[in-house]
Amino acid sequence: MKKVSKETLIIATRKLMMEMSDEEYDKLTSDFETITMQMDLIKDIKGVDDVEPMTFPFEITNDFLRDDVVEETITKEDALKNSKRKNGDYIVLPRVVK
Amino acid sequence: MDYKRMTLLDLHKAITDKEVAPFDLVKYAIELAKQDKNNAFEYICEKEAFEKVKTLDENKKDNLLYGVPVVIKDNYSTKDIPTTASSKILEGYVPIFDAEVVSRLENEGAILIGKTTMDELAMGGSGTNGHLGAAYNPWDKSHKHMIGGSSSGSAAAVSAGIVPISIGSDTGDSVRKPASYAGLVGFKPTWGRISRYGLLPFACSLDHVAYFTRNVFDSAYLLNVLAGRDNKDMSSSFNKVEDYTSRLDDSLKGKRIAVIKEINASISDKVVLNAFNKTVEYLTSQGAIVDYVSIDSKILKSIYPTYIIISSAEATSNYANLDGVKFGNMIDGDSYADLVIKTRTEGISEYAKRRLVIGSFSLLKDNREELFVRAQKCRRVIVNSISKVLEQYDVIYNPASPSIAPFIKSTKNKIADEYLIADNYMAYANMGGFPSITFPIGFEKNMPFGANLSAKPFDEALLLNIANQIEKFTGLANIIAGDDDGI
Amino acid sequence: MEFNVVIGLEMHVEMNTKSKMFSSAPVSYVAPSNTCLSLLDMSFPGTLPSVNKQAIVNAIRLSHALHMEISDILTFERKNYFYSDLPKGYQITQAFNPIGKNGYLTLNSGKIIRVERLHIEEDTCRQFHIGNESYLDFNRAGIPLFEIVTLPDITSGSEAKEVLETIRSMVTFLGISEGKAELGNLRCDVNVSLSEKGSNKLGHKVEIKNLNSLANIQKAVDYEISRQSNLIKEGKSIKQETRRYDEAHKRTVKLREKVDAVDYKFFTDPNIPPIKLSKEFIKDAIDSSLELASEKKVRYKALGLNDYDSSLLVNSKDITDYFDEGLKTGCSVKLLANWINVDVQAILNKENISIKEFNISSIELGNLVLLVEQDKLSNKQAREILLEAHSSDKKIEKVLQERNFSLVNDEAKLLDIISELLDSNPQIVTDYKEGKDHVIGYLVGQVNKVTNGNANPKIVHKLIIQEIKRR
Repeated sequence: MKKVSKETLIIATRKLMMEMSDEEYDKLTSDFETITMQMDLIKDIKGVDDVEPMTFPFEITNDFLRDDVVEETITKEDALKNSKRKNGDYIVLPRVVK
Repeated sequence: MDYKRMTLLDLHKAITDKEVAPFDLVKYAIELAKQDKNNAFEYICEKEAFEKVKTLDENKKDNLLYGVPVVIKDNYSTKDIPTTASSKILEGYVPIFDAEVVSRLENEGAILIGKTTMDELAMGGSGTNGHLGAAYNPWDKSHKHMIGGSSSGSAAAVSAGIVPISIGSDTGDSVRKPASYAGLVGFKPTWGRISRYGLLPFACSLDHVAYFTRNVFDSAYLLNVLAGRDNKDMSSSFNKVEDYTSRLDDSLKGKRIAVIKEINASISDKVVLNAFNKTVEYLTSQGAIVDYVSIDSKILKSIYPTYIIISSAEATSNYANLDGVKFGNMIDGDSYADLVIKTRTEGISEYAKRRLVIGSFSLLKDNREELFVRAQKCRRVIVNSISKVLEQYDVIYNPASPSIAPFIKSTKNKIADEYLIADNYMAYANMGGFPSITFPIGFEKNMPFGANLSAKPFDEALLLNIANQIEKFTGLANIIAGDDDGI
Repeated sequence: MEFNVVIGLEMHVEMNTKSKMFSSAPVSYVAPSNTCLSLLDMSFPGTLPSVNKQAIVNAIRLSHALHMEISDILTFERKNYFYSDLPKGYQITQAFNPIGKNGYLTLNSGKIIRVERLHIEEDTCRQFHIGNESYLDFNRAGIPLFEIVTLPDITSGSEAKEVLETIRSMVTFLGISEGKAELGNLRCDVNVSLSEKGSNKLGHKVEIKNLNSLANIQKAVDYEISRQSNLIKEGKSIKQETRRYDEAHKRTVKLREKVDAVDYKFFTDPNIPPIKLSKEFIKDAIDSSLELASEKKVRYKALGLNDYDSSLLVNSKDITDYFDEGLKTGCSVKLLANWINVDVQAILNKENISIKEFNISSIELGNLVLLVEQDKLSNKQAREILLEAHSSDKKIEKVLQERNFSLVNDEAKLLDIISELLDSNPQIVTDYKEGKDHVIGYLVGQVNKVTNGNANPKIVHKLIIQEIKRR
């Protein structure tokens, strides 16, 4: 795997809506080196690229589907209770520009 | 009455015989919680617990959990009780609903007395990454040894005797490893056996509800209470719930046990290996068949990086709702983006941030094949290799950790076999959803260590049976840290 | 210079299920803000999705109508990005394995437009802006959506409009969406690119987003085609960008450069294990589908209705339902169709109401038509009765009783009137014998004037011909 540059990491972090200090980026770069070395070990496993990727721990299919029935909803007050940016009816944000 | 060591059966008898009332138990547990010096608690639910104990439904008094104080890791949603996942970003968040596990416990009459500390957002294995600082191991009053994580506070609460059972969560080994370090039974059932509704998702395909007790019977009983289909969780299983306590004393004769050679070979601590071997001798003496089997060490070494990539990737998605807009510790800004960036930058710790960036990076188009998809493929290779062994054997059995709890201030060689294999192999049970249990087998320097059993999906009764028989041999049940001065 | 025009559509259609896609909160487009919410819609930590059965049934029905291959295993993926209207920070959608694929629809001209995929996903919050603030309403978050993507087989604005109309007709006739573009039930993005005929080079794609009315889509596409062709003729290049339609100035306007496509980091949602759809489940969903407009037209044709009349009826599912119900009275198919398409529609248009708000039931109307067929009422009388019943909000039966309508069937009396008219207009006889048939209509009209519209039309017609021939 190619070496990961600090600039790439800064962009990736920004896209996750976060920022880090210089020291943290250095630690992150070193983390990447470690994980790269560890992942390199995987490349050597026989047949690893021939199998299907696995999302679920085991084969599982259910046929359950929820009936289309309305059940109790939460009140507006409860929904907005935990937000620090609200008026009585909405969550209010600084104007969002697309 | 030595409350701190009492089992569920002991407590139940004491209540039924009217030796003690639930109110007294709860009061005592809360006092102990307040005196806790291991930083095990995010929040002690004093007011709430006293309310609940007053309104206990007498009709439930035959349940073993009736009136029993319990604690739960702070990544479970609890109605009207603060829930932080030990992260600054969730300071101030008070949920309006209970997790399914919480509902089921309270339905049985259990009384929640506290939310416990953890590694922030369940990421980490040292117990030192929470916003309130490190949690400590009650076995070491000098606070040098860690208790492990991420379910650190839950482990501390039970091993200090504050409560007989505590709920944690296990995504890579987050209950089963601290169980080893704290002399406890740490049990992770099959994926989907217990509903995850209300558990903050870290990596859904690896997350399991898991818990600590001080003996195998209590673990089995608790599974009866918590297991079973919940329609609110589409991944929860429709499989019938048995009585998991009914086969605990089944004979070991003819039971087939596989020890993975390479895991033991990567351990250098002779005390651990000797204690483990003694249990193997016992198993053999009782008619069990114990074989040493081999799994390619390349596969075993790949468990940890596979776990890191998959869990970090899923985590970036699961934690994308932590933006301060709907809930949480919002730091204001002059635009949506500004607000969210400030909130997440301020509220998520360094370590967690780094994990999230690694996860996000591995999902990007350019890197997906090489990182995320390859890790998913490797997951299948790992799970296949374990399943293959379990086709021929009832359980897989190995020491749960290479040694006793490491020092908090220790560094590890992250490429060494001991780290990659012995220290981190238990994540295979998360990848394949295998039920898995850790229990104590010995001591070194007055610190406990444990062994781990894993079985086929939904084979919990057999798993608990073998664990129970080993526990009878070692006699290491219901041990708590220290003696009279307890915590 | 001649151009190849290559157009593809991406449509989003909101379903009208009772509850949301992944939670049991109610679906409502009109409820007060933030009153139709579940824990999941607010993305509270620990909440989990639960898949709505009816949404799957709806998707199967629409996939079938579009002749698609229907997947028998359902999986869902996460589309990850940060935006204020996306509570979880990801949208649950189907990226890798859409429920329907490789289908098509047929335009009136017979041209086939291939439909590449149909998948299910959830809608986002509604947000609106006042001053320097934005307001979030979570009601819409989680409402089930179809996403339908065509291959770029469309070559004009009118074809694009027809595709959208066809989809709208399908979803309303299947009863799976209200299909009201103005309410946001039906949204459409269009990709337009031009290349010189004979050249292999594909032009840059320009995306026009958020077209919200059928009329606008045709105008926007036509404008864009001419804009691009003008640029090419001038030797200029087409920039790959996203545009929107400026209704006021009737042109497309640049919204933004097409930046490097956002990387959505798709992966399968581990909270929703694969769902097996049995053959029975899929068959039941299809067999219990309501009729499409095209299927109704086939049925109407078999009943003897011509294409023009049935095409008018199938403009609206509710009108066809009204018509089907009215047919139960046994009245004439053609007459009922006319009454609905002309007389009833005129009232609806004038008062700007829908057939659902019309206060005369289809059974009542059917019975009225029967009376006309049985010569108990003339057309004129029936019209008056209808109007009066509607405007005074009375039942037709009541109006009939009150007004005591009856037809003049007395042949002798009618013959007198006709003879008198022919006596004073002898030109009529001459004109008729010269082949000018229209004079019959004129004479019928004159008879109606004298009788106040109460003459039995069949008898009048018969007597007129008879009398003229006699002269």
